[in-house]
Amino acid sequence: MRANPPFRINSTPLIVTGIILVLLVIGYAWMGQGAFVRTTLSGLTIASLYFMIAAGLTLIFGLMDVLNFAQGGMFMVGAYLGWQFYTNPSFIFGIAPLIAALLCGLVTSRLLRPIVMNWRIPPAWQERLPGILTFMGLVVSFLAVWGLDVLKLSSTAMVAAALGYDPLSEIKPQEPLSIYGIRLAFLVLGGGIIALGSARPGDVTQVIHPKDRQRGWIITLALLVLAILLVVVRDPAPRLVLYMNGNLRFFLALFVGTLSGAGLGAVIEISLIRPLYIRPFYQILVTLGLAYVLREMIMLLWKPLAYQMSRPPMFAQPGEAANLVEWFLKGNSTIDILGVTFPTYRLFIILLGLIMIVVLGLTIGYSRLGMIIRAGVQDREMVEALGINVRQVFTIVFMIGAGLAALGGIGAAPYIPVEPNMGDAFQLQGFICVVIGGMGSFPGAAVGALLLGLARAFGDYLALKFNLSPAIAEASTVIIMAIVLLVRPAGLFGRKD
Amino acid sequence: MVDNQPGVRKPILEVEQIHTFIGQFHILEGVSVQVPADDITVLLGRNGAGKTTTLKSILGLTPPRQGKVIFNGKEIQGYRSFDIASMGIGYVPEHRAIFRALSVAENLRIAERKKGDLDRKAEFIFGLFPDLKRLYKLPGNHLSGGQQQMLAVARALVADNKLLLIDEPSEGLAPVLIEQMMEAIRSLSATTTILLVEQNFIMASKLAKNYFILDDGKTVHSGKMADLVNDEELIHRYLGTAVIPSGEKRR
Repeated sequence: MRANPPFRINSTPLIVTGIILVLLVIGYAWMGQGAFVRTTLSGLTIASLYFMIAAGLTLIFGLMDVLNFAQGGMFMVGAYLGWQFYTNPSFIFGIAPLIAALLCGLVTSRLLRPIVMNWRIPPAWQERLPGILTFMGLVVSFLAVWGLDVLKLSSTAMVAAALGYDPLSEIKPQEPLSIYGIRLAFLVLGGGIIALGSARPGDVTQVIHPKDRQRGWIITLALLVLAILLVVVRDPAPRLVLYMNGNLRFFLALFVGTLSGAGLGAVIEISLIRPLYIRPFYQILVTLGLAYVLREMIMLLWKPLAYQMSRPPMFAQPGEAANLVEWFLKGNSTIDILGVTFPTYRLFIILLGLIMIVVLGLTIGYSRLGMIIRAGVQDREMVEALGINVRQVFTIVFMIGAGLAALGGIGAAPYIPVEPNMGDAFQLQGFICVVIGGMGSFPGAAVGALLLGLARAFGDYLALKFNLSPAIAEASTVIIMAIVLLVRPAGLFGRKD
Repeated sequence: MVDNQPGVRKPILEVEQIHTFIGQFHILEGVSVQVPADDITVLLGRNGAGKTTTLKSILGLTPPRQGKVIFNGKEIQGYRSFDIASMGIGYVPEHRAIFRALSVAENLRIAERKKGDLDRKAEFIFGLFPDLKRLYKLPGNHLSGGQQQMLAVARALVADNKLLLIDEPSEGLAPVLIEQMMEAIRSLSATTTILLVEQNFIMASKLAKNYFILDDGKTVHSGKMADLVNDEELIHRYLGTAVIPSGEKRR
C-alpha cells in the first residue's frame, strides 16, 4: 500500500513556469518590445486554437480512454458550417428540417421501450433484431434523402465566396414542399425503426424510470414542432439571416458551428464509439477513419478548395484603434497594443480561448458533471456503482469535446483559410499539447497549448530572423514534447499511477 | 438471541447459482448466497475464492452469465450497474476506492441520488465518523488509510440504501481503527442489511450473524456464525491461513 504524504506538491509546473518566464525575459531583452509583443500575441492566438482541440482530447481520453482523432475533423466541420451560416445559410436551413425529423424518429426509443421490452421474442432474435432494425432504418432514411440536391444548396455559399458577393448572394429556392414532406415523413419513420431496434425488443432487463415516458413525449413532440417550424422558415430564414446585422450573424454562426459539432459528437459517440468500448483499439481506428470520411464529405459538398471567410464588421473597419474603447465604438480591424499594430480579430480568438478555459475550468471544478468527470477519470466502475449512468456522461463529455473543437474551427475560420485539411495540423498539435500536459489532465491541456503556441510563434520569428526553414518552428513543438517526456514521462500534470 | 435461520424470514437478497466469467476465466462456478434482512451476513473464503467477484456480480459490474440475483423480490441479473445501485444497493469496494481527486465533501455529494440526500444524512454520517466532519474540505488524497476507508463507507450511506455490500473494511487498518470500523458497521446494521466480505475472521465472527464460505468459486458451506466459531475443522479446511487476528497484507 503506497502511503500518500499529506502534501505532495507537483513541482514540475513551477519549474516549467520558471523556465518560460526566463526565456520570455531573455526574448524581451533581445527582440525589443515591438517584436516581442507581436510574437507573444501571435503565440497566444495559436495557443487558444490548440486549446480548443486539446481540451476535448484530454477530457475524452481521461474519462473514457478514447483517443479521439476526429477532433481535427470536428474543427473543420465547425469551420465549414459556421462559414456556411455566415456566408449563405441556404444549405443549413435546407437540411436542418431533415435532421430534426430523423432525430424526432430516433428519440421515440424512450416511448417504445416500455412497450416493446415485454414482447415475447426468443433470445436469439433479441440479439439479431437491433442490428436488423438499425440496418432497415438506415436504408429507409437513405431512401428518404435520395435525390435531394444537396450540391445545389451547398454551392450557394461557395459561389458567394468565389465571386466576391460575400457575404450576400442569391438565395436559391428550397425543394417544393410536396416531395420534401415525403422525405420528412420517411426520415421520421427511418429514425423510428432505428429507435425500435435500440429499444431492445424483448429484453426485460431495462429499467423504465417513472419520468421517462413523460420526458420522451416532451422531447419527441418538441423535435416534431421544431422540424415543422424549420420547414416553414427554410425559405425566408436564409434571407433573414443574410440581412441581419453582421456581428449578430457571426455570433449566431459561432453558435451554429458549436451546436453542429456537439450534435455530430453525440451521434458519433452513440453510434460508433459506444459499441466499441470493449475494443479500445478499434475506437482509435474508427476515429481516425472518421476524420477521413468527414474530409471526403466536405470535399464532396464544397470541392477541395480553400475559402476565406470574411471577418464580421466589428473586426473589419479600416483603420487602427488606439485602445479597446475606440475599437468597441468603431470596430477597427487593427488595434495598437504597446506600440504594436495587431489585428483585433486575433484578440477575439485569444478572448474566446480564455473564456472557454474559465467556463470549462469552473464546470469541471464546481459542477456535479465536473465532479463526476473527475471521479470517472480515476474509477469509472465505482462511479457506476454509485448509481450514476456513466455511459450518458460519456456522451455528454464527447459532445462537449466535439463542440469545443467545432467552436475553435468557426472561431478560426475568419483567420485561416477554410479548407478540407485545416483540422489536420491542429489535430496533431492538440495531441502534442495533451501529451505534454499529461493525458487526461485539463490544466495540462491548457498549459500544453500555451507552451506550444508560444513555441510556434517564437520559432517562426527565429526562422524568419535567421533565414531558416519554417520547418524549425513546426519541429520545435515536437522537440518540446520529447524533452517533457524525457523529464516527466506522464506529462507535466499527468498522474503517475 | 432470536432465532434467525436463513429461510425463516424472506431474504432481501438471494443469489442463486451464479456463474461469472472474467475474460475467459470462469471465476464463479455456482455461488449461492441468501442475505436475510436487517442482519450482517459475511462471505468467507481464501484469497481468490470469488468473494469480491460475488459482490461485483450482484452489482452487475461483472455480470453473471448464468443464475439469478434476486433483490427485494425482483430479478436483477442483467440490469446495468447504475440501475442496480439505484434500486438501493450501496457498495464499499476493497482498497478504499475513494475518489482521490475529489474533496471529502465531493466524495459524499457525488453519491447523492436525490437532491438533498447528503444534507439529510450528514448528521447520521458524522455521528458514525466524527473525523470526516473535521476533514470535510480536504482532498481525498490527503486522508490517511483509515480515514479513506471511513469515507468509503460513509459514501455508501449518503443515498437511501437497503443493502450495503462492504468489501474488506478492515484491510490494512491499525487495530484501533478496526475497532472503530466494527463499531460503525454494527450500528449500521440496526437500520440496513449488510453483506460483508472479510478476511479478518475475528472481526467477521464478532459482527456477522450468518456466514457463507466460498471455495474455488462455489458456495461450500453456510450457517450461523455462532456454530462456525466452534467448528475448528471447518475453519481450518476452508479458511486455513486466513484466520489471522489482524489484517495481514496480501498481494
